[in-house]
Amino acid sequence: MSQHNLLTVSGLSKFFPVKKHSLFGDKQYLRAVDNVDLYIKPGETLGIVGESGCGKSTLAKTIARLYASSAGEVHFHGANLTKLSQKALRSIRPKIQYVFQDPYESLNPRHTVGSILQEPFIIHTQLSLQEREAKVKALLDTVGLPEHAINKYPHEFSGGQRQRIGIARAIALEPDLLICDEPVSALDVSVQSQIINLLNELQKKMNLAILFIAHDLAVVKHISDRISVMYLGSIVESADSDELFKRPRHPYTQLLLEAIPNPDPNAKRSERRITGELPSPINPPQGCRFSTRCPMVEPRCHSTRPPLIVTDGQDHQVACHYHQQSFENWESPWDY
Amino acid sequence: MMFSPQAKRRWQRFKSLKRGYYSFYAICILIFVSLFAEIWVNNRPVIIHYNDTLYFPSYGDIIPGDTFGLGYQWETNYRDLKQVFDNNPDSGNWMLEALVPYNPFENHFIEGEFPPYAPSIEHRHYLGTDMAGRDILSRLVYGFRIAILFSLFLLTISYVIGITIGALMGFLGGGFDLIFQRIIEILSNVPILYIIMIVASIITPNFWTLALMLGAFSWMGLTWYMRTETYRENTREYVLAARSIGASNWRIMFKHILPNSVSILVTFFPFSVVSGITALTSLDYLGFGLPAPTPSWGELLQQGTSNLDYQWIAASAVIALTIVLTLVTFIGEAIREAFDPKKYSYFS
Ligand SMILES: Nc1ncnc2c1ncn2[C@@H]1O[C@H](COP(=O)(O)OP(=O)(O)OP(=O)(O)O)[C@@H](O)[C@H]1O
Ligand SMILES: [Mg+2]
Repeated sequence: MSQHNLLTVSGLSKFFPVKKHSLFGDKQYLRAVDNVDLYIKPGETLGIVGESGCGKSTLAKTIARLYASSAGEVHFHGANLTKLSQKALRSIRPKIQYVFQDPYESLNPRHTVGSILQEPFIIHTQLSLQEREAKVKALLDTVGLPEHAINKYPHEFSGGQRQRIGIARAIALEPDLLICDEPVSALDVSVQSQIINLLNELQKKMNLAILFIAHDLAVVKHISDRISVMYLGSIVESADSDELFKRPRHPYTQLLLEAIPNPDPNAKRSERRITGELPSPINPPQGCRFSTRCPMVEPRCHSTRPPLIVTDGQDHQVACHYHQQSFENWESPWDY
Repeated sequence: MMFSPQAKRRWQRFKSLKRGYYSFYAICILIFVSLFAEIWVNNRPVIIHYNDTLYFPSYGDIIPGDTFGLGYQWETNYRDLKQVFDNNPDSGNWMLEALVPYNPFENHFIEGEFPPYAPSIEHRHYLGTDMAGRDILSRLVYGFRIAILFSLFLLTISYVIGITIGALMGFLGGGFDLIFQRIIEILSNVPILYIIMIVASIITPNFWTLALMLGAFSWMGLTWYMRTETYRENTREYVLAARSIGASNWRIMFKHILPNSVSILVTFFPFSVVSGITALTSLDYLGFGLPAPTPSWGELLQQGTSNLDYQWIAASAVIALTIVLTLVTFIGEAIREAFDPKKYSYFS
């Protein structure tokens, strides 16, 4: 199976050093990403879901080696990205592209849209100015922006349009993998679906694999083939999209599902809510990371950390000691 | 890269701040005038018409007295020549003198009087002369030219060093950053004026060596600024975006980080000019600056303060210095306000 993967991430971790409070204290680390495994096949979409601050962006940036990793491997197109030299890395970069969370931050305010979109071609091709401009116009057309956008500056556009510019830049060199880091969470609800539709179209047209990050399950539901749920730097549950929605096994996943607003007024409403704060990734809880907020917590959860194990043989993985009970007790608020 | 819309907005805002904008104009005119000072302020006339030939002596080699039938090989004394022309109005020879017909090195002696001469329209010493009989206005104009060019050159040196080192510190971080932090701390504590005085008492500095010496010790302030700014820009997402499309460090530095961090240095510009002029003037005042007889405001100030009976000397120097420094400060203030209207509105 794994030889068909486009991207295979194993044991990936990213620790940020934290300022010490005293000279003699132990060196402390913020474990933003802690031992993550995942894979993506060509043309498929993997959704990653988790609440704010759980390390999604850090995971994405570490995969793309915009951050150096602390441990683990990232295999992409047969190369281990974490070990690649700067030069080799630069030449593989066009194949793994990134759409950023904040479309106001990710475009250079001093460059026109034309020069932003030409940059990939300047770096990686020998095209002449005319050829580059033709490419840029084609790109603008692909992402649904008018041709005259070429001479404008990013601040002259709305958030949704800027995100289209960001997407155009990312697909310029025809990547195989697009990492979309909450590409719509900074946008108006009305614009969100347009951007998602655009990504869907591009995926079909270009046979793109997409790593789609979001902070709620509703957004990733329709576009993801598989979904991984992340909590405090680690993946707690991972399954096919349908499977995850029908048979969630981790209490955290269940709570996320119950939190999705249901427009049907007759639907069953769950009383359970995720309470409390996300624990600090500097001093994560002993045992299960979710034990401090879990509604079904048992003593064992505080002492032993559950590994991510395969259940059901359906490519469904979960990291919970009591996933069996948890699943049996679960009542879906949704009618499928 | 063309001017970004932000730069255009700032320029508009700068133009709307009248005091700074007019000061900017005034300084530009002063600089322009002083660059062509040989035409306005010179003992050589602008045009001479002699025996149906036109001469333009302002620039170029000396014209010997023989040329005008004065019977000597050395440079023509144009004031004598003017006398000759005036005495023979029928000859058809004439000359157009410079507005201030004295050059800054020339010791002018009026018969029966000793310098310094008070300001007088008759003798065309509009601001009088200094202790050696040199025209003050002439020395002010040439002194201004030297001072402004000096401080622009000094500024170039210190900005090039400061920007390069600061940007590298912010970009590379680590050991490079640490080492230069210490170097800068050491250099910042060196009393540079004393060092220059010591050096100047051993070798006579000239324009270039003095500027280089001062420049070598005046880039540190900028470095901190560039360092933080580069570090900040480097962690912003548009730089990550450039990195993710495979841009080289070189490209990221020059196309992305520098253009976004360097523009704000314009706000320091006028203040650097002020400090350059001030440094040169103080060194000249103390006698450790450019060697005599270079026209210099500091030297004029020194003469003035040690000869307070002849008030016009000190007055000219002080007033000229005040006007120029005030104009430049007004410009600086307006630039700051144009860059950040919220932060610098203390003079409105
Ligand atoms: N450069 C950094 N240096 C130190 N700590 C960081 C850095 N970037 C992120 N972190 C920390 O790592 C953790 C994960 O941050 P990250 O931005 O990856 O979360 P996220 O899931 O993307 O959140 P959001 O949904 O708000 O974007 C947070 O605790 C954050 O404070
Ligand atoms: Mg994020």
